[in-house]
Amino acid sequence: MSRVWSICWKEWRVMLDTPLGYVVATAFLLASGFFFGKNLFLVGQADMRSYFSVLPLLLLFFIPAMSMRMLADEQREGTFELLATMPVRMLEVVAGKFAAVLLQIFVLLALTLAYPLSLSLLGHIDSGQIVVCYLAALLLASVYVSVSLYASSLSSHAIVSYVLGFGMLLGLFLLGQAAATLPPTAQDWIALISPVQHYSNMLRGVVGLEDAVFMLAISGGFITLTWFQLERRRWR
Amino acid sequence: MIQAESLTRFYGDLAAVKDLSFHVRRGEVMGLLGPNGAGKSTTMKMLTCFLPPSSGKAVIDGVSLEKALDVRRRVGYLPENAPSYADLDVNTHLRFIGQMHSLPKATLADRILEMAGVCGLHTVLHRRIDELSKGFRQRVGLAASMLHDPECLILDEPTTGLDPNQIVEIRHLIRRLAEKKTVLLSSHVLPEVEAVCDRMMIIDGGELRAMGTAAELARLGHGGAILHVHLKEAGPADAAFALMLEQFPDMDIDRQEKDGGMLAVLRHPDPDVEMSEAMFRAAVHSEATLLELRQETARLEDVFRRITGGQA
Repeated sequence: MSRVWSICWKEWRVMLDTPLGYVVATAFLLASGFFFGKNLFLVGQADMRSYFSVLPLLLLFFIPAMSMRMLADEQREGTFELLATMPVRMLEVVAGKFAAVLLQIFVLLALTLAYPLSLSLLGHIDSGQIVVCYLAALLLASVYVSVSLYASSLSSHAIVSYVLGFGMLLGLFLLGQAAATLPPTAQDWIALISPVQHYSNMLRGVVGLEDAVFMLAISGGFITLTWFQLERRRWR
Repeated sequence: MIQAESLTRFYGDLAAVKDLSFHVRRGEVMGLLGPNGAGKSTTMKMLTCFLPPSSGKAVIDGVSLEKALDVRRRVGYLPENAPSYADLDVNTHLRFIGQMHSLPKATLADRILEMAGVCGLHTVLHRRIDELSKGFRQRVGLAASMLHDPECLILDEPTTGLDPNQIVEIRHLIRRLAEKKTVLLSSHVLPEVEAVCDRMMIIDGGELRAMGTAAELARLGHGGAILHVHLKEAGPADAAFALMLEQFPDMDIDRQEKDGGMLAVLRHPDPDVEMSEAMFRAAVHSEATLLELRQETARLEDVFRRITGGQA
């Protein structure tokens, strides 16, 4: 476990020492501020619902950018060989990278707590619902991070990894969007397999065990795929 | 120690290493020589558990390659081109490597300083690695490979990119380390291998072609003993050569008259035969004046070119 945290710590050091981390964080906070402020000032609605409904789309752009170099750069720079010849399991490597990106998302989402706090100054807000919404956002982010990490393991070029990750996440996102246009049976299936649908279920303020388990299972599935992909490279 | 038995590795249908067996004792430096694509790096990658062998086995310091994590704890590995985390500073990079090897927090900082001293990194310890020259990066790689004080060191071209002073320093360092450790290193620089290694092996096409000390390999170079002789007068020279032929019937002599004297090259098929002393006595006995007597020693380059078909 300590090696998972060592990898996570190393990724944070890289993030803090390079401009990419700051650029992505600033852009995310600006975009978040825009969508929150738009609803408050232009529409005149003092709630978080519209912000959380646009969050899956925001994360769709930002999480592949945060994850793209995680494994692609290791392979491109040759440090993957260094990592793979140290006493660490490949699954620990993947877990460390996953934790690093998810922790970054956690910090960014924590910074957006300023929005509900400012709303609470204007009037009453349902704090329970807000907490569930943040939990749902973290669960959705964990799905996105695991998919983006898998994309990063598929190529040694960060940009290719970004495009692959973005493409896969867009597919998952559109799956949820297309549900309304499909026959009822298909809608049931899509409701079952679309992470955004499960996320939307949680936005109602109820933590459905089924929704949480589904998103954790999808994250676990993609983490396992990433692990297999890295091991496969060595067996070829 | 390192003990490899019939190590074989295929990339698809291509055999990169075929049936490679060797051993390196504790306290010994073994050099791995071979042209590009000979299978040197693949061999090292198998021994560090980066690539699993297609067949065969190896034991590092008593631990089989199947126990990958235990092997990696005992091995310090410097991959080709010394990859390191370019976005980090040297200290943070080494700290990360130490953490991965579970070095205790209390001693990690001291160990980093010690390795920085050994590898001459004191002045750049807090500089980002992507700002460093190739030589410094190579030293960072070396420091990282030795940080956890491993029993075995596997170094893929350790002196690439270093200037002559640094090369000498690193050679001394490796020799010093080898007193207590097992070292396997690969290099293209043949004089370096000669200077640092106790024994060396030459591989080509993934197969072991020769193994031994520099002197043992040198004898393979021209397949026999060669003596260059220059005598002042041609007449007594013939008598001296006749005496030599009596003593060594298998010997060939190429003679060439020069300025009334005689230049000759004496060749004997047995590389271990001692001709110099016999030639000296024959010259004295024939009253020939000996101007030059030189036993030719094969250079490692010659051996390398001969064994690897001149692809060096």
